[in-house]
Amino acid sequence: MENDITKTTLRIAEIIINELKLEDVTPETFEPDLDLVDEVGIDSMDLATIALVIRDEYGIRIDEDDYPKLTTVRIIARYITDKLSSKE
Amino acid sequence: METREYKFADIIADPPVRERWEKVRRYFFLRESTYDMTNRCNIRCEGCYYFNGDKQFAVENRDPAAWKQLLAAEKERGITFVVLAGAEPSLVPELCRICYETIDLGAIATNGIKAIPADIGYKIHISAWGNDQTSLEIRKAKDMLVHQMANYRDDPRAVFVYTFTPVNIDQARQVTRLLADNGHKITFNMFSSPVGYTGPLRHTAETLGHTRDTMSQLLQEYPETVIYSHYNIVAHTHAKGLHDVYGCSYPRMNPSTDIGLGRSFRQYRTDLQWDRDASCCVPDTDCADCRHYAAGSAVVTARMYRHASDPEHFKAWLDYVDTYLAVWVMGYEKGNNLCDYAVKPPEDDL
Repeated sequence: MENDITKTTLRIAEIIINELKLEDVTPETFEPDLDLVDEVGIDSMDLATIALVIRDEYGIRIDEDDYPKLTTVRIIARYITDKLSSKE
Repeated sequence: METREYKFADIIADPPVRERWEKVRRYFFLRESTYDMTNRCNIRCEGCYYFNGDKQFAVENRDPAAWKQLLAAEKERGITFVVLAGAEPSLVPELCRICYETIDLGAIATNGIKAIPADIGYKIHISAWGNDQTSLEIRKAKDMLVHQMANYRDDPRAVFVYTFTPVNIDQARQVTRLLADNGHKITFNMFSSPVGYTGPLRHTAETLGHTRDTMSQLLQEYPETVIYSHYNIVAHTHAKGLHDVYGCSYPRMNPSTDIGLGRSFRQYRTDLQWDRDASCCVPDTDCADCRHYAAGSAVVTARMYRHASDPEHFKAWLDYVDTYLAVWVMGYEKGNNLCDYAVKPPEDDL
C-alpha cells in the first residue's frame, strides 16, 4: 500500500509538472506536502485539467466537490489509492 | 443505452479541438474581481442592478491614492483581471486609468453615452436594451445607439452587449443590423431580475424560447458581428437559471474559500469595501433568475470537467470559453464555433 502511494505520488507530481509546465523541479524533488494553491499557485482550472489526466490514467472520477480537499500531491495520491481500492 | 466513456486525451486528439484547447487554456491564469466605480449614473434604467440593494448607498471614494493602493493590493493577492462596473465608470476616467495602469487586463461596463479615453486599454462593454425608441422609454435617454456608435467607432475595445428582455426581443434584429452596417461587434445578455423584482422585464418560458430562436438566427446571419455560440444560447436561455444548471461558483452562492472564485473573487462597492455574502458579478440579482452573461462567463467556464465527458460537450464548452475570452479580453480573437448546433448541458434533466 505504501509503495503504491509513493509511486502514485511521484506520478501525480510528474502530471502537475507537465501540465503546469513547471521548471527546475522533478517528480523526485517535488515536495509532496506543498500546498498546491498557496505555494504552487494552482487554481480550479488547473486542478480540473489535472483531474482529467488522472481520470484518463487511473480510471477514476474526481468529484468537483472534492477539489477543495485536494491540497497537496500526497493527498491526491492518497485520494486515488483509496478510490482504486474501493473499486476492487 | 450504454454510454461510451471517452478519455480526455482522445477528445483533445482531434486537431481543431486540440488547437482551441491550447488557445483557451493559456488564459486559465485570469483571476477576476469587480469594482463599482461610482454611485452616480447619467441615466436611470428600469431594472438596473446597481440601484437595487444596499450598494447604491455606499459613499463614493474618489481619492486616486486610495484606488491605487487598493489595486496594488489586489494585484498582490493574485487578481489579474478587473471588471469596472456600477454605477457608471465613464464618469471617473481618472480612476479607470489608475486601475488600468496597475492591472492591465479588464473590462468596463458602461452605457456608452460618455466616451472612455482611448488610452484605457480595457474591453468596453456598451449596454444596449433595445432600439432607440425602447431606450427612450426604459432608459430615458435619447438616441442612445447613435451616441454609443459615434463614441466607439472603429474602437477595438468596444463590444455592444444586447440585453434581451421580454419587450425587446424582436428589436435585436434591427440593432444587430445597424451595428453590423457600422462595423461594430455585439454579444448577448439576458435580463436577470434583481431580488424582489416583479416587473414586466422578467423572462417567462415563452420569452426564453423566443429569445433562443432570435439569437440563433442572428448568430447565423451575422457571424462576423455576433460574438456568441450555440452553447451560449443553450446556457443562457435555459428554463433554469445558471445556478441551477451549473452551480454558481461566486462567493455569494459558494461557501468554499479553498480554491477558485470562492477563494479569490471580491465585489468592491464604490466605498472600496466588500462583503463576501454579497459578492458575485451582478450583486442583488435573484439567483434563481440569473442568466447574466458575466455570471455565465465564470460559472460555465469553471465546469470544464463535466463537459469533458465526450467530444460534443467539450466542443460546446470550448465554443463558450472562446466566446467569453473574445468578449472580455483585449486582443483575443474568437475562432469559428466548433459546434454548429445546440447541445444540452451535461446531466441536464430538462
